[in-house]
This record gives sequence, C-alpha cells and structure tokens, in this order.
Amino acid sequence: MATVLHPIHLLAEAPHRLSREAGQFVATRASLLERQAALEGQMLKLSRIAQQSFALKAENDRLRELLGSRPRVFEDVLIASLSGLAAAPGRHEILIDKGAEAGVRVGQAVIDAEGLFGQVIETGHYSARVLLITDLHHALPVEVTRNGLRSIAAGTGQFDLLELENVPITADIRPGDLLASSGLGGRFPSGYPVGQVQSVLVEPTHAFAQVSVKPSALLDRSRYLLVVLDSGEGSAP
Amino acid sequence: MSLRQGGWLIPLTVAIAFVLTAARVPEEWPGWLGWLRPGWVLLTLCFWAMAAPQRIGPVSAWIIGLFLDELRGDPLGLNALILALAVHFASRFHQRLRMYGLLQQCTLAFLIMALAELARQIGASIVEVPRWTWLAFLPAVTSAVLWTLLQRLLGRLKQGVGVD
Repeated sequence: MATVLHPIHLLAEAPHRLSREAGQFVATRASLLERQAALEGQMLKLSRIAQQSFALKAENDRLRELLGSRPRVFEDVLIASLSGLAAAPGRHEILIDKGAEAGVRVGQAVIDAEGLFGQVIETGHYSARVLLITDLHHALPVEVTRNGLRSIAAGTGQFDLLELENVPITADIRPGDLLASSGLGGRFPSGYPVGQVQSVLVEPTHAFAQVSVKPSALLDRSRYLLVVLDSGEGSAP
Repeated sequence: MSLRQGGWLIPLTVAIAFVLTAARVPEEWPGWLGWLRPGWVLLTLCFWAMAAPQRIGPVSAWIIGLFLDELRGDPLGLNALILALAVHFASRFHQRLRMYGLLQQCTLAFLIMALAELARQIGASIVEVPRWTWLAFLPAVTSAVLWTLLQRLLGRLKQGVGVD
C-alpha cells in the first residue's frame, strides 16, 4: 500500500522540490562562495573532532578491556532525505526517501546532524515512515550524561518539548543537563544526544518532578537524516 | 466503476484529491495552516456519489478509504468506514441533495465533515492515546467554503467529459 501511494507523495512534494531547485539555480556566485567557505570551516572543525575521537575511542576500548566489557562498535548509517510529512497535522510522522530496498527496517533509529530524531515504524519499497521522538505516542529510555541517571523521555505533541517521566523529586537533575539515549530496551543505539533539560519543576506535594527537555534534533527543520542500520533487534514493540 | 463513458474522470479526480491531501505547508509558513486542509477526498467522493450514484458506491469508497488511512497514518479502516457511510448517505439521498440551494449544500458539507472529524477523533482515541483538539474541526469550515467552488469545477468537468 505504501508503495502504491509513493507516486502521490512524489507529486505532493514536487512543488517544494521545484522551488528549492529554482532557488539553487539562481543562487549568486557570492552567496555560493560564502556558503563554501562556511562549509570548509565546519569541515575543518569536524575533522579535528574526528581525529580526537579516534584517540578517544582507542583509549575507551582499552579501558573497557580492563573492565572486561565489550568494545562499542560504530553503527552503519544510511543517508536519507525527507520526502513528505504525515497528512494529519497532529501526528509527528515524516516520510523518508529510502525504503526496504535500501535496507531500512522497522525499528531502526533515525538521527539528524544534532541528535536523535525518531524511529522507523513502517517501510514501503521506496519510502519509510518515521515516528518522531516528540509524537504523543513516543517514549525512549535516556540517561543524564553528567551522572548516568536513567529515565524515560516521552513526546508531548510539541516539536520543542519532551518530558521526563517518573523522575523522583529527590533525583539529581538540573536545568542544562544533557540527555543521551541509554540503549536500554534495545531499540535505540546508546550514546546519541536526545536533548537538554530546560526546567525542573519540583513541588513538595508531588512524588515526581516535572522535567521539560528541549530536543537536540531539529525536528521541524532537518531535511537530511541518517538511518542507523544495525540498531536494535528490528522487531516491532 | 467502469472507465467507459467518461468514467476515467472519477479515479483521476480522486487521485488529485489524494495528492492535495498529501501536500504540505512549506516550512517557512506558520504550522497551524496545516489544520485548514479541507477533506479533499471526502468532498470529491460525495460529489460523485451525488452526481453519478450509479458509478460510485460504499464499496469503492471503502477501498479508497483504506488508502486514505495509509496516507494519513490513521488506524486502518477508520477513514474507510467514514467514507463508506458518507458516500452511502450522499447516493441514497442524491435526488434530494441535488435540489438543495448553495447555502444548504454548504451547511450540509460542513455537517458531514464535522461528523467525519468527530468520528475520526473518537475512532482514533479508542486505539491510541487521545489527541483531542478543537483545531480538528477547522477542516469542516474550509470544506464548507470550498464546496461551492469544488462543486462547480467538478460539475463543469463532468459535463465537458460527458460522464453519464
């Protein structure tokens, strides 16, 4: 069915693609040069971090060996781009232009340049449907990077807000803390940034604190995404 | 649905309604505009059920509805049921509906869309977390406004092609 509907999504997306391509076509030389300079600067910065990360990975592996645990592997990824949004505005679902043919399976995690984006919930031949982490139906296990405190980040139906569930009011968590996926549950790979704690509301009469989190991923803006190919068990929840 | 005697126009208009349903608001525009999207498929099917009740019935509406479920990501069968009921109503009373004036037809389009949205919200909240919002009734308003235009356009097309 998703395959039958593929041309409909293509047609619906055509005006957006056209306007984008027209914009690229008439881009001026100056703006292109400027963009190139910015990209080169960014690449230099990233390659510096990448160099460091090799040394850090080697060190981390050695330390893990000392602890007797398995070294972490870097997952394979697939570049995909946004090809459409769910037609119902209350749903945080998008379509990507890679499907079962490219190796996308249900349950795989999707990330963008900034952090964890969502998970694949349905695949067609040439497209797949991704549920964003901010959808009302979504929740994922996270941990605070500062102290390893584990929690569940649930979607709220707003693109810029996640909420942590069942955090005791005595828990050591404060605004500014970074959250990463913990990898528990086996669905999401561990260590990807999820968001930053914005506010912690503690009311002495309540058992749990209200923790608001701003997602790291640019959920309503990112156009290019990465599908993490060998994450999780690949089975439906 | 037979494709002869201009019958190809019906699937074509339904396909266009699907494309319009899948079309999205550009990122630069405010997001709430997405809530204004009228029920293209429902309106188109209701038009054909009124104008050519021998061509389209609840069964074909049901099948089209299954595809709409897939497109919208709604629980499978929900839109199928809604479309089948709406088409049944429109074809059962097509003679009376055709006699109605513009204002009456628009009011009816509003009522049918509002009922459809209500059914959709109730149906969806049975199988998943309820996401009740009054914004979901905006499509009923835009659909009622659009009905005059759509009815005229499709009527012109129907005459031009000669669907009996």
